[in-house]
Amino acid sequence: MSTVVPTVTAPAPSWRRRVLGEHPSAWAFILPSTILILGLNLVPMAWAFLLSLQRSDLVTPAEWIGFANYKALAHDSTFSSAVEHTIVYTALFVPLSIVGGLAIALMLNRRIRFIGVYRTLVFVPFIMSAAAQGVLFSFILDPQYGAANAVLHNIGIARQGFIQDPGQALYVLVAVGLWGGIGFCVIVLLAALQDIPRELMEAASIDGARRWATLRKIVLPSLRPVLIFLLAWQTFQALQLFDLVYALSRGGPLGATTVVVYYVYEQAFQFFHAGYGSAAAYVLAFAIFALGGARVVVSAARRRRRVARTGVAA
Amino acid sequence: MRRWLTAALTLLLCGLAAAGCGGSDSGGGSTNASGPVTIKFWHGQNDITQKALERLVAQFNRTHSDVKVDVNSGGVLADEMLTKLTASLAGGTYPDVAYVFGSDLANISRSDKVQDLTDAVRAPAWRWDDFWPGEREAATVDGRVRAIPALADNLGIIYNKKLFDEAGVPYPSADWSWDDFRTVAKKLTDAGKGQFGYSWPGAGGEDTTWRLWPMLWQQGGDILSPDGKRVAFDSPAGVRALQLVGDMATQDKSIFVDSDPNGERAIRLFQSGKLGMIEAGPWVLPDIISARVDYGAQRLPGFDGNHTTISGSDNWVLFDNGDARSRATQEFIQWLTAQPQDLAWVLATQSLPLRKSTSETAAYKRYAKTIPGTQVFAQVLNTARSRPSLETYPQISDAVAEGIVAVLLGRSSAQDALDAAAQRGDAILAGAGAGG
Repeated sequence: MSTVVPTVTAPAPSWRRRVLGEHPSAWAFILPSTILILGLNLVPMAWAFLLSLQRSDLVTPAEWIGFANYKALAHDSTFSSAVEHTIVYTALFVPLSIVGGLAIALMLNRRIRFIGVYRTLVFVPFIMSAAAQGVLFSFILDPQYGAANAVLHNIGIARQGFIQDPGQALYVLVAVGLWGGIGFCVIVLLAALQDIPRELMEAASIDGARRWATLRKIVLPSLRPVLIFLLAWQTFQALQLFDLVYALSRGGPLGATTVVVYYVYEQAFQFFHAGYGSAAAYVLAFAIFALGGARVVVSAARRRRRVARTGVAA
Repeated sequence: MRRWLTAALTLLLCGLAAAGCGGSDSGGGSTNASGPVTIKFWHGQNDITQKALERLVAQFNRTHSDVKVDVNSGGVLADEMLTKLTASLAGGTYPDVAYVFGSDLANISRSDKVQDLTDAVRAPAWRWDDFWPGEREAATVDGRVRAIPALADNLGIIYNKKLFDEAGVPYPSADWSWDDFRTVAKKLTDAGKGQFGYSWPGAGGEDTTWRLWPMLWQQGGDILSPDGKRVAFDSPAGVRALQLVGDMATQDKSIFVDSDPNGERAIRLFQSGKLGMIEAGPWVLPDIISARVDYGAQRLPGFDGNHTTISGSDNWVLFDNGDARSRATQEFIQWLTAQPQDLAWVLATQSLPLRKSTSETAAYKRYAKTIPGTQVFAQVLNTARSRPSLETYPQISDAVAEGIVAVLLGRSSAQDALDAAAQRGDAILAGAGAGG
């Protein structure tokens, strides 16, 4: 035990060890998922980028045209209105789904009778497929025969065009999107609400905090990480909206609900402009990267400020 | 050592899995000299037509030992077939024959994997001239035969007799004009009962557009200029046609604008007795008969006595998967479209005969008497015109559809809408705008 072991210099690591690391078999375990991720995510992404630099219809040989597709996009009024529709949808859908989700989650976060039933009912629309939602709402919102107009008529409001009215269609789409998408926010926020330590709430009420003060000082700060996650998640969902548009309006009427991803679909698969469609898709991808990047930069800056502040305090 | 064995095994499994995926996709194309040649057939049908087609394929497989047809829908309905085929062509594994909409043929024919049948159909066994002229035209792109007719279709007016009786309107006669049509539609409309005289698809796309073309042709107008370099639908003929439709929708309010993306709602309304007339082809007859609607059919109304209609025939597109499979596919499609099978198909699905000779058989004539309306559509098969087989047609159609919807919703005048559509159409024909 106490004998001194002469230090021996370790033999130079073999090339195998250098390339494969300490545990070569680890590679075998991560290989299947690596191949899947490479094959199903990264390769198609790279391929789509190359495609965006070509004039390609997918069935005849492509021609390299550099960034001409991107230049054409800059002057394409249909594309810019698709971008506009996407921004409007996102700007409405994200805050409404999070604020609405929080309100519902607060209502459901209490001990009342049949609470399990209410929670299930709120979540049910989320698991319904967009195609089914599309069919359901095209029945309800039919201007002539739909239930929505029948109700409006009974309370004395004029018939609305809903999805058939170019001025209303996008907002109707937001409403349908919220109906289907709010359940996710509710379930995530509800889980986070139940994670708030009860002692904190009790301490607050002993200190005489009212509901509003409790919400502002305890609940919201505790929910911060979850709210930030939801903000990012819902934004990406909204930017990538497609299925609802396809099922409900096919981009119409008069292009009023043509969002970016639907525009990409139309270009690539209706009009055979696969290269041009890929370029449009990459514009969206850059926007999403930029938003993600901005978030990282902002939170890094905030952390630095906090470190600086605590440094001063010390 | 054992570690390496694990790694090697895992790799091997991955490799096998990958090979398995690739293999099963392209499988079924064995060209063994001994066994029969297997060909893949994507029909894109459901319900009645799917059953009828699968019965025919089973019959073919029983009677032909050298070819085996592997039949399925292709996983999509005909509406989505173009998307599916594009993806499978880009991926390099595609079927041997698929059902493709008439307006999609020019686009799929860009691919050199689509067989050029120009020389093949000269063989007497095909009896190419026995197909209707509109069908042959629709199967031809740039002067080359790129498909075989699969379904004959044209538009006429199908009307609900009960609603005509209730409104005290006589059933339409063959020489009716569009003005008569407008009057009738107005009389059949009853807002209180939620009843409309007529409907028009309002979701955009070709379904919205193609109903305008007969109204244009009837006045001597055309979709494109004779040299094909410019659009010509913004002529006075086009404006007069669209104006009439717009007035019906916004002044008379006799048109139900069907915003359902699949255009199915109008048919459901017709089935439930809320719609007096629909412009459709024989493909809706099975649905109407099964809903027990007492219906009649009449050819399209005319401008100045011209009642030209549009042929919407669809096609079998044959792909090149090597000589053996190409030959087998031709053999199968030749059999499928030959007169006896055509007759069986017509009787089972209430569609129109693909071949002139089918329409002359005693069995067909007996059958046509039992299904009201069939004769109206069959009579115009010889004169129905077809849309231009043009790669850019879907884009032009989209521009026109947008104009029509704007007029239907009262957002634009017919002249302005067609001018705007023509401007876009000219740009599309000139190859401007979207890069590629």
